[in-house]
Amino acid sequence: MGSKRDDPKMSVELGPLKLKNPVLAASGTFGYGEEYSGIIPLKSLGALITKGLSLKPRKGTPPPRLAETPAGMLNAIGLENVGVQSFIGEKMPFLRKAGCPVLVNIFGATDEEYAEIARRLSEVEGIAGLEVNISCPNLKAGGSLFAAEPKAVFQVVSRIRQAVSCFLMVKLSPNVGDIVPVALAAEEGGADALSLINTLTGMAIDIKTRTPILGNITGGLSGPAIKPVGLRMVWQAAQAVRIPVVGVGGIGSAEDALEYMIAGASAVQVGSAHFIDPRVGLKIIDGIRDYLKTQGIPDVSSLVGSLKTGQDSRRTDR
Amino acid sequence: MNLPPREVKAKILLHRRIGPDYFRLQLACPEIARQARPGQFLMLHITDLKDPFLRRPFSFSRIFRPLEVKKKPLDEGGVEICYQTVGRGTRLMTQLPEGQRVDLLGPLGNGFRPEEQCARVILVGGGIGVPPLLSWAQELRKKGSGKKRSAKASEASPELIFLMGAKSKEKTIGVGECRKWGIEVQVATEDGSLGMKGMVTDLLGRELMTGQHGATALYACGPNAMLVQVAQVAEQFDLPCQVLLESRMACGVGACLGCMVKLREEREPTPLSALSNQDSCPGEAAEERESREGAISMISGTPPFRYARVCKEGPVFDARKIFWD
Repeated sequence: MGSKRDDPKMSVELGPLKLKNPVLAASGTFGYGEEYSGIIPLKSLGALITKGLSLKPRKGTPPPRLAETPAGMLNAIGLENVGVQSFIGEKMPFLRKAGCPVLVNIFGATDEEYAEIARRLSEVEGIAGLEVNISCPNLKAGGSLFAAEPKAVFQVVSRIRQAVSCFLMVKLSPNVGDIVPVALAAEEGGADALSLINTLTGMAIDIKTRTPILGNITGGLSGPAIKPVGLRMVWQAAQAVRIPVVGVGGIGSAEDALEYMIAGASAVQVGSAHFIDPRVGLKIIDGIRDYLKTQGIPDVSSLVGSLKTGQDSRRTDR
Repeated sequence: MNLPPREVKAKILLHRRIGPDYFRLQLACPEIARQARPGQFLMLHITDLKDPFLRRPFSFSRIFRPLEVKKKPLDEGGVEICYQTVGRGTRLMTQLPEGQRVDLLGPLGNGFRPEEQCARVILVGGGIGVPPLLSWAQELRKKGSGKKRSAKASEASPELIFLMGAKSKEKTIGVGECRKWGIEVQVATEDGSLGMKGMVTDLLGRELMTGQHGATALYACGPNAMLVQVAQVAEQFDLPCQVLLESRMACGVGACLGCMVKLREEREPTPLSALSNQDSCPGEAAEERESREGAISMISGTPPFRYARVCKEGPVFDARKIFWD
C-alpha cells in the first residue's frame, strides 16, 4: 500500500484540456494568483482561474462588500478588475510562471465585448483557456441578463466560439428556474465544459440601522451553505449534457469534492474556502488520493457521475 | 518588500478579560513574531466548524521577538492581540482555552511607517483602536522617542505622547503599560471616570494648540468618527497623519477585494478645500482648474476616487488620501 506504483490516476480531461488533478482554484477567490504565491505552491493545483476580467478596468461596487452569513458569506465586489490591457501587461508575466494551467475568467456587457476580450486573450501566451462568466449576480450587463435565457446563452457562447478556438468553459448561474435548458444552450453554443454554480443572490440586513449590510444591497452567497444547491444543479446538468461539468459551490474538503464528482462533476473548483485556509486545495487533492487508495479505485475519473440512485440512469454515454 | 505571510498553529499562552468586553490574547508564534511590524495584522481562525465561516483580522498590540535567552514561553517569540466582543465570532473566541492551538496567517498588511524628521509624535487611540498603537508606541520608545519631554528634546529623540480615549475608566487599555515603558499618556473618558472628561480628539486639539513644538506626526486608530476628526485636524495643521483602518475581511491577502477603502485619486487634485492652498498647477490657469473640478463634480457628484485594499495597500493609510464619506 502507498507505493508510487499503486498511486491512483489523478489526472482528468476537460474536453481538450488535460489537468494533472481535478482541483481548480475558483475565479474571484484567488485574485490573479500572485496573492497566494509564497503562501502555497501554485504548481500543485489542477489549474487556477483568475478574477473576472473585462475589456476596461472596473472600480467595482461601494463598500461594504462582504457580509458573513450562516456557514457562508455574501459578497458584492462588482467585478472590480484591472482590465484586459493591464492584465496582459502586469499579471500575465507572473501567471506564466505559476506552474499550473491558467484559465482566465471573462465577462462583458454585450456579445461583442465577450468576443472581443476572448480574442485579445487568445493571442496571449500562457493562457490555457477561458471561463466565460455569464452569471455574476452583482451586475446587470454581463450577468443575470445572459444567465437565465437559454437563447442569450447560446448567442453569447457561439459568438465567442466563432472568435476563438481555445478551451472554453461557461460558468452557469444557480439563479435560474431550470438549469438544464441553459446548460444545453451553452453546450450547443460551443462550450468545451461547464462550471457551476456561481453564487446565489442573497441579502443581509442590519436591524439596528435597518440598512442593507452590503453597499450593493444584494450580493452573491457562497460557502458551505450553498453546497447542497450546487450538488443538485451539477447532478441535473451533468445528466443533460455530453461535455464535462466542473462542480463549484461550498467545497471545503475532499469529501465535498468527492460528492460533486459522484454527482457528475469531472473536476471541482474551490472558492471561498481559500479565505479560511489557503492550503485547502492541496488538502483536497491529498484527500481525494487517499480516498481512491482506500476504496481501491485506480482512476479518479471513474468516480464521475457514479451516483447510485436506485432508479434507471438517464445519463447518456460519455 | 514584505516576506510572504506564515501559516502557523499557535498555542494560546494567555487569554484574559481586560475590560467589560475587552480581551487580551497572547500567542506563541516565533515565525510571525520574527517578521511582524507594528500596524500589521493577522487572520485568526476561530473554529474548525464552518460557522462562523471566515477568519477574523486582528492587529498586533504587542510583538515579542524571539529572545536569545528563553526563560518563559513568550521568549520563544509571539504576538499579542486585543479584541472586543462585537458579534458571534468574537463571543465564541472568548471560549478559546489557554493551551489550545489556533490557526493564524500573518503578518499581513503594510504597517506603520516612521515619519522623517519630526520633533514630536502623537498617537491617538480610541477604544479598541488603542491596542494596535501599543506595539508602535513601544517600538518608537525603544528607538529613542520620548526619552525626555524637555526643552532639550533633540531631533534624534522626538517627543512621544499617547492620547487615549475610552467610554470609561474600565474600558481603557494599556495606560499602565505605556507609562511603565516611559511614554507620556493622556487619557480622556466620556464619563470622566479617568483623565479628562471628553473625547480623545479634545486632547489632541489641546495638545496641538498649546506650546511651541516642532514638526509633529500623528498616528491614529479608533472608531471612524474619531478618525475623521483626527484627519481634519491633521489637514488643518498640515501634519502628516497615518491612520490604521478596520474593515470586514475575507482573505486578508488581497485576493477577494472585499475590504476596500475609497481613496482620493492621486492623479487629480481632488480636495476642493485643498485647491485654494495649492500651488498653481503648471500650465493651467486657475479658471480652467475650477471649471474642470466643477465639471467633474457635476458629472459624478464626487471627485475622482479609487478603491484600495485595506488588507494589502493598508491597513495603514495616509489620512489625507482617504476619501472620508
